[in-house]
Amino acid sequence: MRVFIFAGAVLALASGGIADARPVSYEGGSTLIVEHDRDMSAIWAHYTPHHRYSIGYRGEWHREDDHAFHGAQLTWLANRWFGEDYQANLYLFGAAGLAYGVDDNPAGTGAAGSLGLMADWETRRWFVSYMARGFAGETVGEKAMQSARLGVAPYVANYGALHTWLMVQVEHNPQAENPVGVTPLVRFFQGPLMAEFGWSVTDDKPFLQFQYRF
Amino acid sequence: MSIRNLAFALALALSVSAPAMASPLAMTQEELSEAQITPSMQTALDEGGSLVIVDVLGAVCDFCALAMTRTFERRSEVAAATVDLDAKTLTFVLHEGAELENATITDLIRRSGYQENGIRRPEAR
Repeated sequence: MRVFIFAGAVLALASGGIADARPVSYEGGSTLIVEHDRDMSAIWAHYTPHHRYSIGYRGEWHREDDHAFHGAQLTWLANRWFGEDYQANLYLFGAAGLAYGVDDNPAGTGAAGSLGLMADWETRRWFVSYMARGFAGETVGEKAMQSARLGVAPYVANYGALHTWLMVQVEHNPQAENPVGVTPLVRFFQGPLMAEFGWSVTDDKPFLQFQYRF
Repeated sequence: MSIRNLAFALALALSVSAPAMASPLAMTQEELSEAQITPSMQTALDEGGSLVIVDVLGAVCDFCALAMTRTFERRSEVAAATVDLDAKTLTFVLHEGAELENATITDLIRRSGYQENGIRRPEAR
């Protein structure tokens, strides 16, 4: 089986979704994530049976490449560093499933998978993250990408209040028409709900993400 | 003024000031912010519950607070819980007569994804 490395499409999912979703929740917690970025639309639902890992379903529609992916993703919290005013995390993740061509892409159904890592550091005022991911599929090709994000909260809010973040995300997808993309975005965060609204200034396309933690 | 009168005046002064002195819990509650005692927690305290304050490392966002609140409120011993990100604390009220050992609290914080950094149990009223 050919191995693909994917990440581009997921750059948003990964940079935005994976990095910011805290892909491993509290034990017994579930999270639903829906995202739409310059390359891809995705849905991801995961459950955390143990505080060090989560597992869930993920579906992706790679609009730029005309293929879709459906599979299971396992995310492992390799380490978490704590401080009174900060938290930092290192995650490793992998997904396995099936990918196939859609629209004008004649590719048939074949096995596919991805591997990646993500790191973040955040305080109540600052946020920094980095993500790298590769994708491989029998019929739809392979990709690799990386992304980073910097955010600042214009004000610091307590639990239950509306949190607002101003962020900028930079993506590097070597195979894309525009390999380096820049997406400024605003994040709203309150209780179990997180919503992000942005715009890719590189591709002139919207960025949307919604997360709900059950 | 005689010594007897001085003693009487002192006793009177003490008796007047005594009602203003708060119980340990009341004093603690005064020191706690509104964000650390929710209305449901206050109700549980009024019904005889006991307060527990846990200092927590790594709680920097609402998802962190949500994780701890939900983890503790799932426990039958816990009447209500909340997190104050400013104070970096999880506070919760145990039902009257219920107990939760420190080791269990530490483990629940860990299962929420965070780290306990001190546990305080103010005296009951």
